[in-house]
Amino acid sequence: MPSSLFTQFKSEDSIKKKLNLLFRNRIFRRFFIQFVFGIFLLLLFFYIVDKALNLELGFGHLNSRAGFGLSHTFIIDYNSNDSRWMGYFAGVINTIRVSLVGIVLATILGIFMGLARLSPNFLINKISTGYVEFIRNTPLLVQIIFWQLLLLQLPHISKALTFGGLTVFSNKGILLPIISSNENGSLWTLILFLGLIVSLILRSRLFKYKEEHVDLFSPNLISFFTFVVIAIISFFALSMKLSFNVPEVNVNQYGTYIQSGGFILTPQFAAVLFALVLYTGTFITEIVRGSIQSLPKGQTEAAMALGLNSYQRITLIILPQALRSIIPPLTNQYLNLTKNSSLSVAIAYPDLFMVSRTIMNNAGHALPMFVLILITYLTLSLVISLIMNIINLRVTRIGA
Amino acid sequence: MRILLNRIRENFFGSKLDVILSITGALFIYFVLSIVISFILNSDWTLILVNRQLMLTGLMPEEEIWRVWTIFSLTAILITTSIAFWFNINIKGSIFYILLLLIPFLIFTTKNTLLYVLFIMILSIVFFYLGYRSKNSESKNIVSRIIVISWIILLPICFLILNILDGPKMTLWGGFMINLILAAIAIFAGFPLGILLALGRASSYKLIKLISTLYIEVIRGAPLVAWLLLAWFVLPKFLPNLFGLSDLNIVVRAMIVLSLFASAYIAEVIRGGLQSIPRGQEEASFALGMNSISTTIFIVLPQAIKIVIPTVVSTFIAIFKDTSLVFILAITDLLRIGRLIPEQQQAFFGKSIESLCVVALLFWVVSLVLSQISRTIEKKLNI
Repeated sequence: MPSSLFTQFKSEDSIKKKLNLLFRNRIFRRFFIQFVFGIFLLLLFFYIVDKALNLELGFGHLNSRAGFGLSHTFIIDYNSNDSRWMGYFAGVINTIRVSLVGIVLATILGIFMGLARLSPNFLINKISTGYVEFIRNTPLLVQIIFWQLLLLQLPHISKALTFGGLTVFSNKGILLPIISSNENGSLWTLILFLGLIVSLILRSRLFKYKEEHVDLFSPNLISFFTFVVIAIISFFALSMKLSFNVPEVNVNQYGTYIQSGGFILTPQFAAVLFALVLYTGTFITEIVRGSIQSLPKGQTEAAMALGLNSYQRITLIILPQALRSIIPPLTNQYLNLTKNSSLSVAIAYPDLFMVSRTIMNNAGHALPMFVLILITYLTLSLVISLIMNIINLRVTRIGA
Repeated sequence: MRILLNRIRENFFGSKLDVILSITGALFIYFVLSIVISFILNSDWTLILVNRQLMLTGLMPEEEIWRVWTIFSLTAILITTSIAFWFNINIKGSIFYILLLLIPFLIFTTKNTLLYVLFIMILSIVFFYLGYRSKNSESKNIVSRIIVISWIILLPICFLILNILDGPKMTLWGGFMINLILAAIAIFAGFPLGILLALGRASSYKLIKLISTLYIEVIRGAPLVAWLLLAWFVLPKFLPNLFGLSDLNIVVRAMIVLSLFASAYIAEVIRGGLQSIPRGQEEASFALGMNSISTTIFIVLPQAIKIVIPTVVSTFIAIFKDTSLVFILAITDLLRIGRLIPEQQQAFFGKSIESLCVVALLFWVVSLVLSQISRTIEKKLNI
């Protein structure tokens, strides 16, 4: 506090006047209000800590045997004899899995529906409007349950729909054909991924070189060629064998139907995914529509005058500019989608929330489990925000 | 005729892409409509006729139903009066509203309650007329004030009606009523709290700013189901052992959690409004000699709130949809009843989809009407 605060007092002033002067001083008032607020917070904090100390704290119980099985595991091979930590991580991976696929699909759906919403074609426009108005105004939970009920109405596995032997549709899930490979498959996928990154880097370098030096080659063609060469060489070096894995249904000697092969979408996973994608898609549709509408109309007209066709207009002129105002609200929708995936608890898809609830029911320790849930969701949100911020930086830089 | 044909050609078959899109679109619409219509025609809807009382009020005893209908009539009168008073009614819009709002009435009206419904309708029409008349009269300002005040005291009065004269226990409340009540409470308590939090976050006091930001971000960090679960497992252990607070019933706990949750979201919305007010407004009011408190209350907040009304309404819609999540607390709300009917009533075994469709329809109607209102306000305020 500055010394001038006390020098303004005169000794003959009454106490009332002194207090009045003191409270008129801005610096003192700020200090005083925050001090009182701080004491109040401190008391609240002590009260909460005091109450919390009476509860079961600590994460020790997560090391013991879980004792519950999970219907869906991915990457982590979990069974009921593993520790509760393992179960929790299996749940986290399930959440990430459904959110990641959901985010990608919802973005695609949202962009298409957003463009459709602005289409001059009457039918397409009305389909998009109807989709948004109907899906957005019903609760997500109702939709998740609806999709699950619908998928469980599919025929029993003994009468599964096979569509020419390529797929299996039954109430045990949807099986789709995939391309499978021998044991080197994951290594090859990794190499392909690295090759893709290398060729993308090469492409940007070549473009820079081309701008500065000679205009003799096509960077797109060269980088694509590099990628193909990498793919073919590694394919033969790893002696890969690719095969088309078609799902099938067999009956074993006990008369039980067994489905095998292919890529399986279980009813639970599919229900959560469909509902999340359709629901979040409506919000993304509205974001895309709003952003495109906020662009000046002259942009489209100028693109038309340059002779660009409708596809080029959208991909080269409209979307890159609209992206700048799309990405911040889009990030918000991605966060919402991730948090909303916790609703899968209603149909027993074992995401992180459902696993935590099971652990809470089995072992108590509700408060520490709750802190764990909070930390996990906050971390997921932070990661998404971080990635989207990086993308946002790139997008805003291009136009600048 | 020729113009029409030309327009059709331009609209549907302008280019090759348009031709493909139109044909796929038409096929898609035909496909969806045929499925929906055949589903509607082939299902047995007696489920609604038998269970409408249950869907509306849950397990509330028969002799207490008058409370619910009293609340409905009060709300209906207030809604019609405000629409007549504030909105410019056009015929097309009002037919749309009436048709939409008829759906819940058709679903919920039984022989016993037909009298109530007729009574409500007559009262609504009378008040609609009164509201319409006073729109251009001299007592306009007084009527406007009366309507605003009655909106504010509506919720306490509803609570009074539900509890007066030895009302039913709160845990017996259920059905669609509890979704509406929970949403109303959440917005009623969450709005002032949200304003305080938004001001706190915009404040220059470091400590207050830190706490408000922390509160908003933490609440928004976890999904609502998680907070509701917290209310189920942990909240009772943190409440003081005074006035029977430590064994609050589950409905009140859900109300607390929903209000706190809503306040964080509303705070973010209002913060957006506060940021969009030009700084000159504040400076001008300081130049007029107002202090910072009255500047905030009389200059900044009214403008900020006016801007964010449409967004607040959409937050309200979101909260209203989110009230279906109270299934996790075993409160018999509309969704839970919709799921229990086909499981427990022998006549309707396996009718889950029909039951769920009714639930979805009810939520949809209310949300749609609210979002239309939000759009009307947006147009009226010219934002």
